Amino acid sequence: MKASAPPWLASGRGLTIVAMLPALILILALIYFTVWVIAFSFTNLELVGPRSINWEWIGLDNYARLFTRKGFLDSLWTSILFTFFSAIVGQSVLGFLFAVAMRNNYSGLKTAFEVAIMLGWLLPDVVAAFLWSSTLSDNGLVNTLVVKPLGLSPVNFINQFALPVVIIANIWKGVAWSYLLFSAALDSIPRETIEAAKVDGASALQRTYLVILPMLRHHIATNLLFITIWTFTYFPLIYAMTGGGPGRQTEVLPVFMYNQSFGIGKLGYGAAISVAMLLVVGFLSIFYLRMMKEPK
Amino acid sequence: MASNTMHSRLTSVALAFAAVIWVSPFSWLILTAFDDRAKNLLRLPEQFGVANFAEALSGMAGQQLLNSVFIAAATATLTTLVGAAAAYPLSRIRVPGRNAFLWTLVLLRLLPAAGVIVPIYFTARWLGGLNNFGVVIALTILNLPFTLLLLKNLFDTVPIELEEAAYVEGATLWQIVTQIVVPLSRAGLAVVWFFSFTGAWNEFLLPLIFSRTEAGFPMSVGLYAAFGIQGAIDYGFLAAFSIVYAAPAIGVYFLLRRNLNTGFAGVGVKG
Repeated sequence: MKASAPPWLASGRGLTIVAMLPALILILALIYFTVWVIAFSFTNLELVGPRSINWEWIGLDNYARLFTRKGFLDSLWTSILFTFFSAIVGQSVLGFLFAVAMRNNYSGLKTAFEVAIMLGWLLPDVVAAFLWSSTLSDNGLVNTLVVKPLGLSPVNFINQFALPVVIIANIWKGVAWSYLLFSAALDSIPRETIEAAKVDGASALQRTYLVILPMLRHHIATNLLFITIWTFTYFPLIYAMTGGGPGRQTEVLPVFMYNQSFGIGKLGYGAAISVAMLLVVGFLSIFYLRMMKEPK
Repeated sequence: MASNTMHSRLTSVALAFAAVIWVSPFSWLILTAFDDRAKNLLRLPEQFGVANFAEALSGMAGQQLLNSVFIAAATATLTTLVGAAAAYPLSRIRVPGRNAFLWTLVLLRLLPAAGVIVPIYFTARWLGGLNNFGVVIALTILNLPFTLLLLKNLFDTVPIELEEAAYVEGATLWQIVTQIVVPLSRAGLAVVWFFSFTGAWNEFLLPLIFSRTEAGFPMSVGLYAAFGIQGAIDYGFLAAFSIVYAAPAIGVYFLLRRNLNTGFAGVGVKG
């Protein structure tokens, strides 16, 4: 097979090449950045000081450090908790339930509900962080309207329940994506299929488990692929809300990588963390892509 | 049938309740923004006024708003232009392995943005680009793989017969692109532009590392810096600032809601 171009592109070859050049340069830059990260994960490069210029190759030392020092494994576990509860349990399951509940509902309630959850999705990350910090502060909404009327003393939620708080904030922010995707998917299931199951005596629960879920296999895998990768690599909300604290309770991997690279200045170690994250993301992608392809 | 009605009523009540929960955090933001004597309290405005908004649109805050507008508009325009210019030939020239090439690029972007930030920082420092212009270039680089894939798929849907006919009539490449291809794919180009715009408007990490002075911050970093300061936090100002910062993304979405919803679903379902 040979490259073949339609005649108007072949005759305007100069213009075509000029048009493609900027994209080509930027793509080469992206490839360069990726190769750079992999290469420097084998060095002891630092942000400032003598090692910012006279760095050395140190083999697999950075990778060994990932497993021998505590930081990385703790952050990996925090990331797994954060991703599992906010993306899979929270956004995906809740988004699916919302979509099922809204199915065939065309009232004003549907519009109001969609606007409500979209507001969270559209809100810039830093504003969402500020909003939740204030909502959960001593004199914030939850303490004023729920905790104090119950006769309890105000709770400083972010200090006491940091990880659940960022998980809830992320569910609040991200559920709209899963809802929209599942809504579109449910609309694509023919009405007759579900009616037929109803006539055959399937209960609402059976209809969901035995008819709807298997038909949505592809959509569920797509949704999980996107949201787990986004959540696993999500940085601004947590960083702006807690900075990884208190202590290291909410230091998920992107925050850990940022703190190691730009806080402590260990760029080589930071690069090794990035490569480890890339491997996790790659593994997740392969897993979901297989789930998408295999028939039940 | 009675139990069915009952059931759907309960569902409606539950959903209405969920909607109220979802918007409730905004109550504090709005009440505080319109209170000229705001504190970190949930209460009705003690002195109703728009002084906070005047403050959030002037001086340093106004400058940061302009910085955000520059970063977002420049990134969206550059991404769409560079992407479209390369995606059209990619769509029309049959090269073996071009789809594999595009998917490889998308896989490359699975590397978390936080992961490639270090080489981007070094390159920008070396080129003297630790400023908002550097942020625009860096964001364009990070946007490009997805943009190329989306725009190539978009141009694939433009019927090639029209271009063939125009060529036979003697149209040049430039005329074909500007008078046939671009007008036919305008809606898709707008969606790509909108996504790049909101992405750049929202961006926090790159300007956090790139911007050196308060006058150079976009609103994301400005807001973060302001509420990170310990001590006297001006909550009324911050709330108004947040609303000004959030308004464009929300406003544009609701203007384009119908088109974008199908766009979202399309992107997601196609995978």
